[in-house]
Amino acid sequence: MRLTAHATGLTRRDLLIAAGMGLAARRAAAAPAARVAVTRCQDYGAGVRPALRRMFDGLGGISRLVAGKSVAIKINMANPLRARTGYRPAWYTRWSHPAVIAAAVSLIGAAGARRIRILEGSCEDDNPLEENILQGGWDPRDLLGAAAGVEMENTDSLGLGKKYARLKVPGGGSIYPSFDCNHSYADCDVMVSIAKLKEHQFAGVALSMNNMIGIAPAAIYGDAAGFEEPAERPFGRRGMFHTGRRQPPSSVPAETNPASPRDAGYRIPRVTVDLVAARPIDLAIIDGIETQTSVEGAAPAPGARRGIALIKPGILVAGFNPVCTDAVAAALMGFDPAADRGTPPFEHGDSTLDLAEKAGIGTRDLKRIEVVGTPIRTLVFPFRRF
Amino acid sequence: MNAAPSLVPFRWPAEWRDQSMAALLKGTPINCLAGSVPPAIPIGGLPFITLDPDNPPQGITLREGVWPRVLPAKEEDTALAGATGGPWVDSNAGVIRLAQAKDPGRQVWLTYSPPGPKEIVPVEDYVRPIAEAGAYGARWVIALDPQFAQAIAGKNDRAIGVWRQMIEVLRLFESRREWRAWQPVAALAVVSSFQGDDRLLAEEFLSLAPRRHLAYRIVLASDLATTSFEKEKAILYLDGAPPRGDARDLLLRFAENGGSAFAPRGIIQARPVETRQAHAIHPLGRGRVITPLDRWEDPFALARQVQLLLSIREDVVQVWNGGDMNSHYLSSPDGRRAVVHLIPYASGPTQPVTIGVRKRYRSARVTTPASTARVRTMPGQLGIEIPIGEFSCFAAVELDE
Repeated sequence: MRLTAHATGLTRRDLLIAAGMGLAARRAAAAPAARVAVTRCQDYGAGVRPALRRMFDGLGGISRLVAGKSVAIKINMANPLRARTGYRPAWYTRWSHPAVIAAAVSLIGAAGARRIRILEGSCEDDNPLEENILQGGWDPRDLLGAAAGVEMENTDSLGLGKKYARLKVPGGGSIYPSFDCNHSYADCDVMVSIAKLKEHQFAGVALSMNNMIGIAPAAIYGDAAGFEEPAERPFGRRGMFHTGRRQPPSSVPAETNPASPRDAGYRIPRVTVDLVAARPIDLAIIDGIETQTSVEGAAPAPGARRGIALIKPGILVAGFNPVCTDAVAAALMGFDPAADRGTPPFEHGDSTLDLAEKAGIGTRDLKRIEVVGTPIRTLVFPFRRF
Repeated sequence: MNAAPSLVPFRWPAEWRDQSMAALLKGTPINCLAGSVPPAIPIGGLPFITLDPDNPPQGITLREGVWPRVLPAKEEDTALAGATGGPWVDSNAGVIRLAQAKDPGRQVWLTYSPPGPKEIVPVEDYVRPIAEAGAYGARWVIALDPQFAQAIAGKNDRAIGVWRQMIEVLRLFESRREWRAWQPVAALAVVSSFQGDDRLLAEEFLSLAPRRHLAYRIVLASDLATTSFEKEKAILYLDGAPPRGDARDLLLRFAENGGSAFAPRGIIQARPVETRQAHAIHPLGRGRVITPLDRWEDPFALARQVQLLLSIREDVVQVWNGGDMNSHYLSSPDGRRAVVHLIPYASGPTQPVTIGVRKRYRSARVTTPASTARVRTMPGQLGIEIPIGEFSCFAAVELDE
């Protein structure tokens, strides 16, 4: 018997939502699964490069991915640049560590990359990225010299490009239909995201996908963005991603549905998935050698019940699919990657893993993900124990 | 003989009508009273120095200055935005250092009073004016607002506690008089006449650069020809018109020998090879001449541009978790000892502060209004890093080779 909306008591809207959920469920079931490499790495010494090489080998090698290609590497240097968690430099707590970046650059170079561009925005002005790395207390020459043809760019504004590149979100996006980004994210063949293994106030975890929030330039999506045109220089955090209290400049596509929830726990995971769909990640690397608990910033959120603990999980994770890689990383943090909103670590927001899986980017189902290297169970480092 | 360097002045508060209050000054470094008119009651033993800007005391340069702080907003519980994009900070760094450069043999006294009765100043903030002046080798003519003066007279515990901290900071500077002869450690020399149309931009640059921890040495344009620039990596010729004659030759020679010479357009005719940070870069010999694309107008933007064009790699001191803080780095003549003064301009305690210096000193001692302690220096990528701790108003980091 064919049910109608009238017969079931459902409205047309309910049916549309149910149909959408069915589509999402089918997409989730069909979301690709990819191998993820996990290894123990106790410190940022000479062991990082061999560990990463073994992981790349375990994934089947990276030559096919990068040889002869222009490779963009999005590192994580969340602002403020001069903020430290206590006395610990941000490389050990919130940022991807230069030793991991240098090892990745070196291996990508050795695998035949034509050009390697290290990228990160900074909503504290349009300083060259090299200068921001110096502000963090590290010598960027370590990274620039790790392979031939290495460049850097601060991507929070136009940078060295003449115009912004418009990256469209396939399917129209949950929050934004497209993003205007620094040219470097379009002018590349391969996208690598090197993230920190850390928690996030709203998104639960901030891993390789959340790292991509930083590709959206603060000159357009920051608090001091122009209302008609992008600001010349980037200032202010990406408040509109959190609160939706304003739209990007009118020259840039606005949100698809300004009536959608203004809650950061709803918005940040969706903006993240939109960005990852618009600029897919080809290789995800997560630095969990040293990190911190609780939040992505240098200080606890106002009113937070948990403090920040500095921890040494001694873990590196890598994979070609960011959802699979982040799912394994979340499991290593002691979380269930299949958890949904309301369950740790997603108490304050929707699961980016869930949304990315439903968008068909990759599976979060650990049963479908082949883990190579060290088994998850031997490396689990429960973040909520701290 | 010039007695000015040893004078430690204090404005006798009008609220202190009892001569016995003089006991509070006994045993402290305060050794003279100062003001426009002497106190109404005789204060035994302490000389009085009249503060007349038109007729300053011998050996002393008088400058009014400003109460050092993050400027509060008038209505909301936020701070005013300033040229930095962050809160507006009132600082006396530039005023003091310029006065010292113009009259090196004279002691600089700042004569400002606390903010007026409409503003509530946390009494703890009284340590900052003393520390700021001391850090830059000057004196603040200590002045108490009526509430604070009455609270001290009434033996209020909090007020007395702050008074003691003020005295301790004075003692610290009196016990380290040698700091006044130490020279700033800096990669940058700022050259200007500091007169006429160029004065405002140049003076503001001197005040704003320390907030970026961009250290500098001041050279008067009239002294350019007789000054050695061996230790500097860059010279900023901060006048509206390009240098001519010997001054131009000196700057070009400095660039040829590997330095970076910042000067107004017109100093060099060669075409630039690149433009960055709103400046044109002209390679010359082993160095470069850097000229602005447009006339310099914004002192904070200029401080930022100079810092980036020179590179943060050349910063002699870095500060993490510093907030709105100035740093001032001085070295002994033999280079074996140094002190880094840290002055946070916001009220209340800082976050845990770390500083980095390029020279690898072996030991460090931190003095704050609350304590003195040895701290461990740690190797960093760009030199050494030193965990300073949380503090209010002031910290002095003494470094030894």
